[in-house]
Amino acid sequence: MILHPTVLALVITSFLTSLMILYSGYYGIRILVNWDMGSGSELQLQLERRTYLISTMVGYLLALQLVSLFLFIFTADSISSLLVGAMCAVGTLSANGFGYPALLLKVAVFLLAGLWLILNRADNQGYDYPLIRKKYLLLLFMTPVILAETVCQALFFLGLRPDIITSCCGSLFSPEARGIATEMAGLPPLPTLAAFYASAAVTLASGVYFYLKGRGCGLFASLNLVHLVVTVVAIISVVSLYIYRMPSHHCPFCILQREYLYVGYPLYAAVLTGGVTGAGTGMLLPFRTVSSLREVLPGMTRRLSATSLACTAFSTLLVSWEVLATGFTLR
Amino acid sequence: MIRVRQITKTFNSGRPNEFTAVSGVSLTVNLREVTVLKGPSGSGKTTLLGMVGCMSRPTSGRIFLGEREITSLSERFLTDIRRRTFGFIFQRFNLINGLTALENVMAPAYPSGERFSSLRARALAVMEMFDLARKAGARVEWLSGGEAQRVAIARALINNPSVVIADEPTAHLDTRLSHEFMAIMRRLKEEGKTIILASHDPIVHDTDLADRVIEMRDGRVIADGAGR
Amino acid sequence: MSGAIERQLHIIDFTVSSLLRRKGKNGALLTVYTLIVFILASVMFFTHAVKREAALVLRESPEIIVQRTLTGRYQPIPISYVESIGEIRGVISARPRLWGYYYDANFLANYTLVVPADQQPEAGTIDIGSGISRVREAFRGDTIGFTGHDGKPFAFVVNRVLEEESRLLTADLILMREADYRAFSGIPPGYATDLVLKVRNPREYTTIAEKIVKLHPDTRPIVRDEILRTYDALFGWRSGLVIVIFGAAVLAFVIFAWDKATGLSSEEKKEIGILKAVGWETSDVLLMKFWEGLAVSLTAFLAGVILGYCHVFFTSAALFAPVIKGWSTLYPDFRLVPFIDLADLVTLFFFTVVPYTVTTIVPSWRAATIDPDSVMR
Repeated sequence: MILHPTVLALVITSFLTSLMILYSGYYGIRILVNWDMGSGSELQLQLERRTYLISTMVGYLLALQLVSLFLFIFTADSISSLLVGAMCAVGTLSANGFGYPALLLKVAVFLLAGLWLILNRADNQGYDYPLIRKKYLLLLFMTPVILAETVCQALFFLGLRPDIITSCCGSLFSPEARGIATEMAGLPPLPTLAAFYASAAVTLASGVYFYLKGRGCGLFASLNLVHLVVTVVAIISVVSLYIYRMPSHHCPFCILQREYLYVGYPLYAAVLTGGVTGAGTGMLLPFRTVSSLREVLPGMTRRLSATSLACTAFSTLLVSWEVLATGFTLR
Repeated sequence: MIRVRQITKTFNSGRPNEFTAVSGVSLTVNLREVTVLKGPSGSGKTTLLGMVGCMSRPTSGRIFLGEREITSLSERFLTDIRRRTFGFIFQRFNLINGLTALENVMAPAYPSGERFSSLRARALAVMEMFDLARKAGARVEWLSGGEAQRVAIARALINNPSVVIADEPTAHLDTRLSHEFMAIMRRLKEEGKTIILASHDPIVHDTDLADRVIEMRDGRVIADGAGR
Repeated sequence: MSGAIERQLHIIDFTVSSLLRRKGKNGALLTVYTLIVFILASVMFFTHAVKREAALVLRESPEIIVQRTLTGRYQPIPISYVESIGEIRGVISARPRLWGYYYDANFLANYTLVVPADQQPEAGTIDIGSGISRVREAFRGDTIGFTGHDGKPFAFVVNRVLEEESRLLTADLILMREADYRAFSGIPPGYATDLVLKVRNPREYTTIAEKIVKLHPDTRPIVRDEILRTYDALFGWRSGLVIVIFGAAVLAFVIFAWDKATGLSSEEKKEIGILKAVGWETSDVLLMKFWEGLAVSLTAFLAGVILGYCHVFFTSAALFAPVIKGWSTLYPDFRLVPFIDLADLVTLFFFTVVPYTVTTIVPSWRAATIDPDSVMR
């Protein structure tokens, strides 16, 4: 265990989010079992009031998760100096088997919490809580993910020994190593870049089409999820090369550092937000026929798609700026 | 028209201290009329007013506001309807101390998200109607009884409700102020507001202003007739 | 959309005025909150600043140091080793160093004596650090006496007082000419305190270290990264420990905040009841409570951080430096170079604002779900 203040802060925070989600999950079960909108019984009134508490908690949870996601990477980066052979966050995260799972779970929790809040917002627009059951089923699905995240992160930090020899990003993404990360790094740069732009163009086009015509929502949502993955792959495989101006440095985390003007923060924030809002549009699609939502849902999905489009356009521009402005060529 | 069908409100149900404040009440309130609920304290008038005014939901039964059934709405929507439709005047006025008269009048409209300048202009216009414009900047605890009463009425009207509900409005007023209050209610009726008053004060229920007087006791309606 | 923003503005406006109306209650909370932030901020700023100073020292320090040991104890090293070690592939340069410590019994202080590689002081003169200058009240042109290794008195004229950006580095330093130092310390000619190497590629550190030991079994190579790591771990661990101790204080604060948040005065309850009765919705009240918490947190956080900054960088952490520093008495007055790390602030935020916010969620919700018809009862 490395007794670093930031590590303590992260562990405490994830512990608090776990407590909150357990509390919410308990009432989620009670709501699923006892909900009866037609009844004016005191139990029903109490449950309705609980929904306010739970949505407040999940709102805070989302905000905490976003900050702690970045803080986690940042910490991994700053404590890399304590580990032999680790030069940046990549090295720290691969120091034991819980680093990457913790990171992935954090991203998953962020995406799920974002989707939940979108669902919650849609539900609040209807006068009769039309989505209440779906909402709390999703909450129950989120609970184990958040608990797993807490456990993984705790095990990761507990398992860090300052004397363990770890790899650094150079060796993780170097041709000799095997694994998914190397596969990503090993993708041919220029075709990957082309794929990124193609994916961005198709996503944006389908979004604009949906925004204007109100059709093609499912396509837009699926494309957003694909684009989320494509963007991350592209960042590792090719965009990082332009940002670092080095032909073989594929690290997805170093772009969060000051040397690169913290460009990673707006980039990842836009990519994540775009993904959540885009996927959220598709998630709301099946509920268009619910009578109490028929009037409000189209407006809401339009706003969501607009947000998603703005984020995707922003991240694409940011990537283009990095590629063009650096004057670095891969030839 | 507000129609109330067989509503019951039970508190602490299933526990030893269970009690039913309103049981099986049905009535109809016509628009642009003054309806008075009359009865001793504890007869269920206030609870009934709360349910009609969308403050609380009945344990059973249904309430229709125009054509819309409101008993199965979520609290969020009930509040929205309450804010648009009803203006409330409480016993002892329930103004918020420490705020100015103007801020008190504006408070109900804050969640609506109206522009501050237009909200303020509207509030001042309403206060002007009640001769309160000079007192707009004064803290409410410094106002006289009559002024505080008029601030409370102005606050009830800020969202331009079609229905004004007053619960025991004269309980803590002297005779002169009580008559002044009824005079204001008369003005509001002439402007086309629907008014529902709950009171056991003869000044309120024995007036020619009342189109209907409904008498309650022990949570039930025992008499329902035209006013004097 | 503008309606939503306007709603926020109205509610913020109302929140601020209602906070100001309850100065007594909020004042107490704010004071305790600020104090907690202040303490934690001081700990973090201080350790970070010290860590940074240490890193500065080490950045200048050589990549590999070679010492000689005899029966496990440290010994002067023959300068002749330089040649053989310098020939190892990957070593750019090898250089002997002369330095040591001197304990001044009269002033109960330890000095570090160093023979600089170039620009050595004139014979019979020395350069001294600011700490020594202060303790001995010696300035340029004064003469200072020391006792040599053989008990003989030595007198040196102060050539200059070292004033550097980081005083932690130079406070106890004495720079001396090689010949003077040999006479003073008794290190025989042909020997040095240790050897320092420059290496081309960091990846070769380990290989080179192994080769040196093979070549001269009586030597011990020390790689700079190891020192850095030790420092980092040490200071991180210390501040972590201090924060764990102050965790008790944070806990007490959380209980205090819980108490404040749950113990709504009847007046406040009535106020919320009125608001709900006249048309505020539960989420409006929750929003008001959110802004209230944010206003209190931000005020306390900013005040605490600014106070902590002043405490650490203007008064040199007068309140608890001894706890964390825990070394020589020579340093009571060194000034740290002002430096703030964004990650420190975020961490601090997680330690104070997050627990406070989480603590107040449930009480706020309780307050927000007061029955709207409660004011009519």
